Amino acid sequence: MLLVSLFVASFVIFGAMYLAPGNPIAALSGGRSLPPQSVHILELRYHLNAPFLEQYWLWLKNVLHGNLGVSIILQENVSTLIASRIWTTAGLVLYASIIILVVGIGLGVLSGLRHGALDTSTLVVTAVSAAIPSFVAAIVLILLFAVKLGWFPALGNGTSFLSNVHHFTLPAFALAVSSLAIVARVTRASVREEAAREHVQTAVSRGIPTRQVVWRHVIRNAAIPVTTISGITIASLIAIAAVVEVAFSLNGLGAYLVASAESKDLAVVQGISLVLVTAFVVVNVLVDILYAVLDPRVSLGGRAQ
Amino acid sequence: MIRNGRVAGLTAVAAALVLIATACGRSVTNTTPNPGASSAVANLVTTSPAGTKPVSSIVWAVYRDVNSLDPIKAFDYPENTADSLMCESLLRQAPNGSIGPGLATLATPNPTTLVFTLKSGVTFWDGDPVTPADVVYSLERNTDAKLGGFYPQVFNRVRSIEATGSNQVTITLKEPDYWLAGELASIPGMVVQKSVAQQQGQDYGTPTSKIMCTGAYMLKSFKPGVGVTAVANPHYWNPAVKPLVQSILIKGVPNINTFTSGLLTGAIQGAYEFGLPTLDQLEHSSAVKVYDGPGWSSDAFIVDNLKGPLGDVRVRQALSMALDRQGIIDSVYKGAALMPRWQSNPGTFGYGTSVFNAAYNSSPLMSQNLTKAKQLMKEAGATGRTITIGMSQDLANIAAVAGAYQAAGQAIGLNVKLKSVSADNYIDFFIDPKARVGVDGFMTVNYGDYADPASLLSTFVLPGGSQNYDNFNDPRVTSLLETARSTADPNKRAALVSQAEKISAQELPWIPNVQPTNLLLMSSNLSGAVSSFAYMFAPWADALGGTGSS
Repeated sequence: MLLVSLFVASFVIFGAMYLAPGNPIAALSGGRSLPPQSVHILELRYHLNAPFLEQYWLWLKNVLHGNLGVSIILQENVSTLIASRIWTTAGLVLYASIIILVVGIGLGVLSGLRHGALDTSTLVVTAVSAAIPSFVAAIVLILLFAVKLGWFPALGNGTSFLSNVHHFTLPAFALAVSSLAIVARVTRASVREEAAREHVQTAVSRGIPTRQVVWRHVIRNAAIPVTTISGITIASLIAIAAVVEVAFSLNGLGAYLVASAESKDLAVVQGISLVLVTAFVVVNVLVDILYAVLDPRVSLGGRAQ
Repeated sequence: MIRNGRVAGLTAVAAALVLIATACGRSVTNTTPNPGASSAVANLVTTSPAGTKPVSSIVWAVYRDVNSLDPIKAFDYPENTADSLMCESLLRQAPNGSIGPGLATLATPNPTTLVFTLKSGVTFWDGDPVTPADVVYSLERNTDAKLGGFYPQVFNRVRSIEATGSNQVTITLKEPDYWLAGELASIPGMVVQKSVAQQQGQDYGTPTSKIMCTGAYMLKSFKPGVGVTAVANPHYWNPAVKPLVQSILIKGVPNINTFTSGLLTGAIQGAYEFGLPTLDQLEHSSAVKVYDGPGWSSDAFIVDNLKGPLGDVRVRQALSMALDRQGIIDSVYKGAALMPRWQSNPGTFGYGTSVFNAAYNSSPLMSQNLTKAKQLMKEAGATGRTITIGMSQDLANIAAVAGAYQAAGQAIGLNVKLKSVSADNYIDFFIDPKARVGVDGFMTVNYGDYADPASLLSTFVLPGGSQNYDNFNDPRVTSLLETARSTADPNKRAALVSQAEKISAQELPWIPNVQPTNLLLMSSNLSGAVSSFAYMFAPWADALGGTGSS
């Protein structure tokens, strides 16, 4: 399954990059004219004039030997370049996921169980923040917490674990904000729905302690739609991270993917895409496993009926 | 030159003066031409005051990540900034553009012989002395086809480069070439250690490779995505220079909002810029100090097709006269640019300065004159004809200038069609003849390798020039420039180049838009960086340090 996804994705992306106009050599010169002999040498070295299928085959053969190729722009192994950046993206997505799960589900459960001011304000706030794209959130957060208040740095990664956390806080919130709102709203709705069910009402009327009813009957059942939406939003963070990484000048894979696509650095685009597709598939598998844990009726490996 | 997402900006002389003196107010009235008056860039500063206090580490922003540290592949702002910080050339361009000794002194016993004598005690970072063999090898790397460097044409009048003594290198020329010294005071003249470069081969300058230069700053690390870290060289060969900043990280910051908030919050401590859309905001911040220095680049409209309406010089003149340059200076460059008189930026007058200044000041300002423009259109019979301008809506400065051309055309009865391509493909106008088909011209910000108006001009007026897209050929200009290249006396050379500039300002092979000044932005507690465009080609941080008493 994973291998098929990777093969299809790599072919489609390679094809799209091949067809898109532009020239990797141009990125080296910043737009001034290079002498023709220098251009010729670069074209030969990177097979830039070879036909599409030949270029793809050369790339695929290398990948099957565990070699992701060499960046035209940096003349460095793609695997090295990816390795140096992968932890930034992983850390950012993980941090944002924790925020989404803790704050989003927390808010959703609270406002689902309690009517009143908290519920109303959660509804209003999440309705607004669900509509805020990450790049807008990034601008606002930088302006407020970095430029005006000076609590957090405006850009960069940091050097130790604690300074990483400090540097990643604004980017993680920028990345999390709209997904967080969606998760909170879905959680609230499904908690409401479960709480209104007959067996919950019965349990309450039989005098079973509220805490027990909430945990065993409401939250456990509400967890299935919440898992679905959390899985989808977290998987999508992997792709959206690019926007936030650019806005905060983080050296993550997403920002690098954007820069490489702009400069038509094919091997890098392919390499990062493979990593992102793999991550996406892995997150989805984890969500499937979680279903089985939450709902005994779901069996792993079962076919859709 | 294109820089994605970064818009370009400029200042009139008067505006620049006001700006430096008071950091506010922006009455952009041009001083009236005053023949024989002082330099057009007299009000700009070439360096910021020397730093006085040690600083442990700073972040210096460039518009994208550095791609290579091999000088022969440095052709754009980020690579030039990193190489000129750490590596030194045979000769050196001072902040005012004049050329003097660098690692070596130059003697010219006859017009076709250049003798370079290495200064005594010149060493690489590791303490090894720089030998003539290192110099010969470094220069020859430029023309080695296997290495694919970007500057082979610089050496096209060179017959041989030889070590002729224990500290001497002799270049023999096929014919006199007084432009070569300028190039050897620039990127093509940078000296690297032969043994290290030979060992790395094509990989010299890549992130994992080792490099070896001579500068006051030496490479500590080159990490893709993080940046290039240079640290002070404790054994620098020139005892007069004592770097005060221990560590400089050159970091790519492509996003203009991130760049601006980085400077405002101190996450970025310095940068060179032009055409900065957030210039006003930065100038008004107490955290940032802005210096306006002489620029060597020109913002221009490249005419690439002389077979269409622009083939008639009167149409080119009319279009130029109809252009609202002041509007471009105000809106695109936020004041940080000069109104042009020539193709080249007056910041490039690195030699024969008084000759250049007198000739420049006696040339007319390219100010708007719609009446004359309409009359020229009528004479040319071009009213109602159409030209197409290549541009990109994604590149804000290019789009704004192209829009100004559209307005200019409309005012004089010339239809201007815009052909917009994506930001990534804008580059194709420069390198792909197919992209230029059906396009009469496109916008650029372009510069030569050293402070000489001829350095940029020759690329687009000489037959076969690397940027002569329209095969422009004016025998007068060609002859003046070829003669200048072979003329030893700097003042005579300046006079010849001035004449070529004056003719080109009439003939308009390109149409100059504005002449950007060079912006140096630093944290207000830093000072000492070079503020002219010389930073692109020679060390710029040797005097950089903290402000205040130590």
